[in-house]
Amino acid sequence: MEANTAKFICRCQEITEEEIEKAIQDGATTIKGIKDRTEATMGLCQGRTCRRLIERMLPASGELSRERHSCRPPVRTVKIGDLLKDESSKGEFE
Amino acid sequence: MNSVDAVVIGGGVIGCAVAYNLVKAGVSVAIVERDDICAGTSAACDTAIHLQSKNPGIHLQMAQESIKLFPELQKDFDEDIHFKKTGTMIAIQTWEQFEVMRVFAERQRNHGLDVVILDRAAAVERQPMMKGDVVGATYCTADATIHPQFLTKGYFQAAKKYGAKAMLHTKVENIVLKEGHVASVTTNRGNIPCKYVVNACGAYAPCIGKMAGLDIPIAPRRGQIVVTEPMPKFTHTIVNCARYIAAKFRPDLLGTSEADRMGVGLSLTQTERGNLLIGGTREFVGYDTRTTQKALLYILKHATNILPALKDIHIIRTFAGLRPFTPDGLPILGNVPGIEGFVMAAGHEGDGLALSAITGRLIAEIICEKQSAYDFDLTKLSLERYRNIDIKAFEAQYAVCK
Repeated sequence: MEANTAKFICRCQEITEEEIEKAIQDGATTIKGIKDRTEATMGLCQGRTCRRLIERMLPASGELSRERHSCRPPVRTVKIGDLLKDESSKGEFE
Repeated sequence: MNSVDAVVIGGGVIGCAVAYNLVKAGVSVAIVERDDICAGTSAACDTAIHLQSKNPGIHLQMAQESIKLFPELQKDFDEDIHFKKTGTMIAIQTWEQFEVMRVFAERQRNHGLDVVILDRAAAVERQPMMKGDVVGATYCTADATIHPQFLTKGYFQAAKKYGAKAMLHTKVENIVLKEGHVASVTTNRGNIPCKYVVNACGAYAPCIGKMAGLDIPIAPRRGQIVVTEPMPKFTHTIVNCARYIAAKFRPDLLGTSEADRMGVGLSLTQTERGNLLIGGTREFVGYDTRTTQKALLYILKHATNILPALKDIHIIRTFAGLRPFTPDGLPILGNVPGIEGFVMAAGHEGDGLALSAITGRLIAEIICEKQSAYDFDLTKLSLERYRNIDIKAFEAQYAVCK
């Protein structure tokens, strides 16, 4: 049996180095471009670990390759029930 | 720069679908995209391919023809586009909505759509999660889900495989006309001589239109969506609510609260990885793609009213995208008056994924001047249908191109 030598870059989504290299060949120059082609950074940790690793793999094509990864709320996972306990939207649908 | 037959502007799902169909029909194509494929709306949406939300007539017909094409596309793509017939249930929350949906479903059945109305007991039996505030639901087997980014990438990579030239990170600066014909497209990377230009820029299509002196009534409409942690199968089908459809036919049924004005309604789909995508809003806020806390709370409050079990699930992200809205809800497709070779393929609002396959086919037929395989009345989709619109007022109202 052959040993699995794949290097996982995004551990949440199990995206390998090879898949990211393929996305770069397809034209990706940003984290967003990698994300849309591979689903890397879309897991539970939202790219906290793999974002930096992927950034280092991106082609250095000036301003295009950096700063395009938007961080969106929430900062940490939060239970829907806990969010709604605040009830600031109470009455809107009654 | 080498000339091509057609320059397709826009690397979203529509532009990539058009490029794919053109190049397969033997037309030489360059896709010009200022950013990257699915940089905008095509990656900021949910996964639904909806027939049930379409008004019987050309809209429903187009969606019905489009959905038939995805299995065939899958065979031609290297990428798995995750196309799956899942069906949809539309939760009905009031008896007024129930009556509207009953009539709507009957009209759809007459157009060959398999949709039934269930009372509360039958709805909960079919969808045990739907234990909330519902009086009934529709059930339609025809609706499906798809992977938005992988579908776009599928069209894009297949287009390249058949010879399309991809020019990403390339900005269109001007469209050059000669004696009423398209002559070339000027970009920041040079001039591309061509016979045809396809404007597939979605919410940004009016800005490209202006380069050729065209007024295009398309406006950005923001939709916000919440993403949950991955989990086992949550619902048997896509789940929507009747608020939006009922409001289309009985605007008086839509209230005047803040949530109503933000167009809050339920659209819930689940990805192959198990994340729930819970939408959404329909807001006119220009080109602002930020998410807001208010929308987040309204969306989740409304969703948990229908599906109370959502309360125990964690959210991991929110996002927003701009749907290209048109005044009558139909896309703008085909030739335009006064400019030979300028072709529109934009304005699909929330139907871009669903209608991408048929849009690509139709545009290829138009450019190749082929007898259409379909019997759609294309005048209903033409830019010319808006010749009497007050475009200044429209653009001011929706902050178009601002």
